[in-house]
Amino acid sequence: MPQSLARYASLLIILLLIQILICNHIILFGVAMPIIFIYFIMRLPMGLNVKWVLLLSFISGLVIDIFSDTPGVNALSCTIIAILRRPIFKLYTGGDEIFSNVIPSISSLGGVMYAKYVISLTFIYCLLGFSLDYFTLAHLSRMLVKILCSTVLSSALIMGIDGLIWNKHK
Amino acid sequence: MRNLIDFLVKYSTAMLFMLLVLLSCILLFTGNTYQQSVYLTSANAFAGSIFEVGQSVTGYFNLRNINQDLQQRNASLENEVLNLKNEIAYLKTIVPLDSATEARIPSARFDFVMATVINNSTHRPRNFFTINRGSADGIMPGMGVVDQNGIVGIVNVTGTKSARIISVLNETQRFSVKVKGSNYVGSLSWKEGNPAIAYVEELPRHVKYNVGDTIVTSGYSTTFPEGIPVGFVMGQVHTTDDNFYTLKVHLAADFSQLSTVRVIRDEFKAEMDSLNLFDQRTEASKNK
Repeated sequence: MPQSLARYASLLIILLLIQILICNHIILFGVAMPIIFIYFIMRLPMGLNVKWVLLLSFISGLVIDIFSDTPGVNALSCTIIAILRRPIFKLYTGGDEIFSNVIPSISSLGGVMYAKYVISLTFIYCLLGFSLDYFTLAHLSRMLVKILCSTVLSSALIMGIDGLIWNKHK
Repeated sequence: MRNLIDFLVKYSTAMLFMLLVLLSCILLFTGNTYQQSVYLTSANAFAGSIFEVGQSVTGYFNLRNINQDLQQRNASLENEVLNLKNEIAYLKTIVPLDSATEARIPSARFDFVMATVINNSTHRPRNFFTINRGSADGIMPGMGVVDQNGIVGIVNVTGTKSARIISVLNETQRFSVKVKGSNYVGSLSWKEGNPAIAYVEELPRHVKYNVGDTIVTSGYSTTFPEGIPVGFVMGQVHTTDDNFYTLKVHLAADFSQLSTVRVIRDEFKAEMDSLNLFDQRTEASKNK
């Protein structure tokens, strides 16, 4: 347990640093922003108490908020995906008992199911994040393009990161 | 009592969720740009030190372009100095300077603090950037910030060693500007999308301009001295208002590669602010 705790802590710190120092400054074609730190929230074991998931998600969102001067935007979005994580997971796995304590990853769920899980959560995150950031319908079409492109880019990156970690542990 | 505890235990997850949502909403809706705690912005010491580390690597990017801009600016300034020197030499032949007239020459009003941009964003509707100088270096909220090409923002929150600047690329911030050579003031605002384009609104219809004219700061505040470049006129935008027009402006500063900036310190600011305060007080006592 302490070993996995240390692993999760280092994963969180590395993801936050990459997000703050690199990904926050990238916007591909002016529309696609890579959001990778939410991989941490997705990776937490399904058996973990929801309260812990909520707290950890809120804190990581708050850190991103402080560093990118968007007070509350990421904290709220992270809290929402933290509460929606399990229902969405159950939606795709059909509430199967063997999945109740699993760590979501490509190796444990298989590519298709994991992709569904990642894309859904990333989409919800981008939808909330960008609409809270804009907070107006004046740029609606631009906002929607940003949400879609960022979802595609971020989910692809998250799946890539998961693939890398999986390969390393095999 | 027992029931209450049972209730709290049963719904503790829901309660925690509500609490966190509430906290985020408080941050979201009371996050007024002007009244923010240093700890919740990128101006705090921890964020500053992390950004410094990142900057020590990325600071070398774009140096070629920045150097070119600096050379150009240097050349035009040198030109200006030579012209002014000639002018002074000529004027001295007409009016010889003695110590009495020399004493009447006003001292410099503005002073600059050099700073490095350590964090920057251009793709949000409300953009900020962070610099590596703070209140320990005499930087205070409300000071103007310029780079080698033109204005870039206003200091918003200061920590001891870093400060958060409201970028020109922030929809909530407006700047008082004018077309160079005229005295009519308009307000510069930016709209989310292109980080190179901004708009000058509320210019009276009779102001003359040509495409390519320089837009400069108006000097009607203690933030920026008069005449600092802001951008260049690209053309007029259609508006419904008959009395005013809106100009599309190409911003002089390149916000995607901000590196070294100067924070403007107005030596008269304290004096002018106290005068304003005095005016307000006398006004208030009159109204009583």
